[in-house]
Amino acid sequence: MKAYIVQRSLLSLLTIFAVATILFILFRLLPGDPTAQVISPALDEVAQARLKEAYGLDQPMIVQYVLYLKNLVTLEWGRSFTTSEPVFDVLAYRFWNTLLLMGIGLSFSLVLGVFLGMIMAWWRNGPLDIGATIAAMVSQSAPPFITGLLLLIVLSYRLGMFPTGGMMPPGTNISGVWDVVTSAQFYHHLVLPTITVAAYYLATPMLVMRDSMLEVLGSDYIEFAQAKGLPPHKVMIRHAARNALMAVVTVSSLLLGFAIGGQVVVETVFSWPGMGLLMVEAAARHDYPVAQATFLALAVLIILLNWAADISYGWLDPRIKVGGGSHG
Amino acid sequence: MLLEIENLKVHYHTRAGVVRAVDGVSLSIGEHEVFGIAGESGCGKSTLIRALMRLVPRTAKVTADRFTFRGRDLLTMPDRVFRRDMLWNEIALVPQSAMNSLNPVYRVGDQIVEAIRTHSTASRRDAESRVAALFDMVGLQPDLAARYPHQFSGGMRQRAMIAMSLALDPSLVVMDEPTTGLDVLVQERILRRLAELRTRIKSSILLITHDISVIAEMSDRIAIMYAGRLMEQAGTEAIFDEPFHPYSLGLQNAFPSIRALDRSLISIPGSPPNLINAIPGCVFAERCPFVREDCRTARPPDLEIAAGHRVACLRTADIAQIRAAAKEKATWRS
Repeated sequence: MKAYIVQRSLLSLLTIFAVATILFILFRLLPGDPTAQVISPALDEVAQARLKEAYGLDQPMIVQYVLYLKNLVTLEWGRSFTTSEPVFDVLAYRFWNTLLLMGIGLSFSLVLGVFLGMIMAWWRNGPLDIGATIAAMVSQSAPPFITGLLLLIVLSYRLGMFPTGGMMPPGTNISGVWDVVTSAQFYHHLVLPTITVAAYYLATPMLVMRDSMLEVLGSDYIEFAQAKGLPPHKVMIRHAARNALMAVVTVSSLLLGFAIGGQVVVETVFSWPGMGLLMVEAAARHDYPVAQATFLALAVLIILLNWAADISYGWLDPRIKVGGGSHG
Repeated sequence: MLLEIENLKVHYHTRAGVVRAVDGVSLSIGEHEVFGIAGESGCGKSTLIRALMRLVPRTAKVTADRFTFRGRDLLTMPDRVFRRDMLWNEIALVPQSAMNSLNPVYRVGDQIVEAIRTHSTASRRDAESRVAALFDMVGLQPDLAARYPHQFSGGMRQRAMIAMSLALDPSLVVMDEPTTGLDVLVQERILRRLAELRTRIKSSILLITHDISVIAEMSDRIAIMYAGRLMEQAGTEAIFDEPFHPYSLGLQNAFPSIRALDRSLISIPGSPPNLINAIPGCVFAERCPFVREDCRTARPPDLEIAAGHRVACLRTADIAQIRAAAKEKATWRS
């Protein structure tokens, strides 16, 4: 297990490095001169050259790349072109907001999906099974911006049950993550985005759990668990669901890949001050340092969640053991 | 008597019709007895033990004139009571596929501990030391209990399953093809271990297999099953030395014997009937070389030929003639 964790961690680091490199190339391939935002073409040639030198843009690409990597590691991510705030500080705040929404939304879909999938398979072809399958098809086919807008129109504008956007009432003084998670207002603001995220992501873990559960229920060790005289709920949870869960973990790493796109949309619809919204804002304002760092931070977040999924898979399935002794 | 079964029927109601997987089986198993049921694949022997352990699906209808364990009616016993009192405490199973009957994500020892603690108030520690003793009994290193199933070989898993079945000293251990799928050397070792265990435990054993030689080696009494019915049942000696049913004679011809190595094997032509069609007469009639017209119209009753020797055949009066003819290859040509 230790070898497995080390191997997975190294792979994740390698992936982050690859993403950083791709971002470096991508941002230099972008049409238009990104430096035009800060180095005005109206300045005279000498001043332009001096500024380029100051930013290190006169160096060859390879030197710029090494410098870029060094700055990444030392968290010297530059300053925003538009607000001149250090990019790291901007992101640090936004990162938590995204993590909270994404974490709560995804956990909610996973836990509920796994539970529903288990029940659906146990009483297959029952009313819950058929109803939930149809509901899953509908909610999965509806793009999150439609679901989100419908929720906003009905529950916020018409019924006034929930705020129309943001994470806190305007003007709230926030001094840290702790302040946020202990505030009732935060949860009030969290409801609609979470429902939107969950409606979109619930279907996959639920249907995968159902299918996997049905397959497991047909296996010999389930019949044997029944023969052992275990009560049905123990057969269902401890023997069947425990094994079926592994398929859900596998799929949820795939699901995480789609999470970035969904996150950007949901944060935009609900004006959630997270990295997804920041990415959209930065792109619109040609704020390259912020955009570049946001891309990277979101990628790192997904890679970390994938890493967690891999580790939990290794923990769930004793047969996964890289370098461990196994025979037979 | 431990287990008494009279006229047990397990019928599956499917869209295509009623499948009579077990159709009127009567047998009884006494204390400290090894009872073997032999029959080819699909003859209903696995369904029979499924019915005994309540593992049949809800679409199956189980009926019987008598179905009791130590006098307690198994047909009317509520599920909860059956699970708690009968399963594992009284009736334990060594399943057909030991390879796949252990849950891959739990340690082998823990799965036995689970069985013990479900049916007794034993502490975890007591259960664990019981597992160590059981492992020792079946010839496994006690420290293997902490391993996962995928770290066990086929023979080791089979031993672990046997250990698990003995965990609570059940009155009856049901063994479904305990040696099928193992290589011959492992088979031999398992059989020897079972033979040795027989003298040490007080459980009775219900042994189900298509392997006549395993049955012959282990059993006190044997029943021959075909197409959901018992053709013949008797003590092991009697069934091999003085079989009465043409199917029993045919089976003997089809298996190599250590006593007559030069004898060539003769197979029974044809294949078992489709159980979805109700068969009014003898189920073996279509393949029987000694068939008579009345065999096809009336179901032969279970005749008690000698004490404890029952045969479902109308032609038992001509047995000397039939036995002589059954030895000839020409008789079995269709």
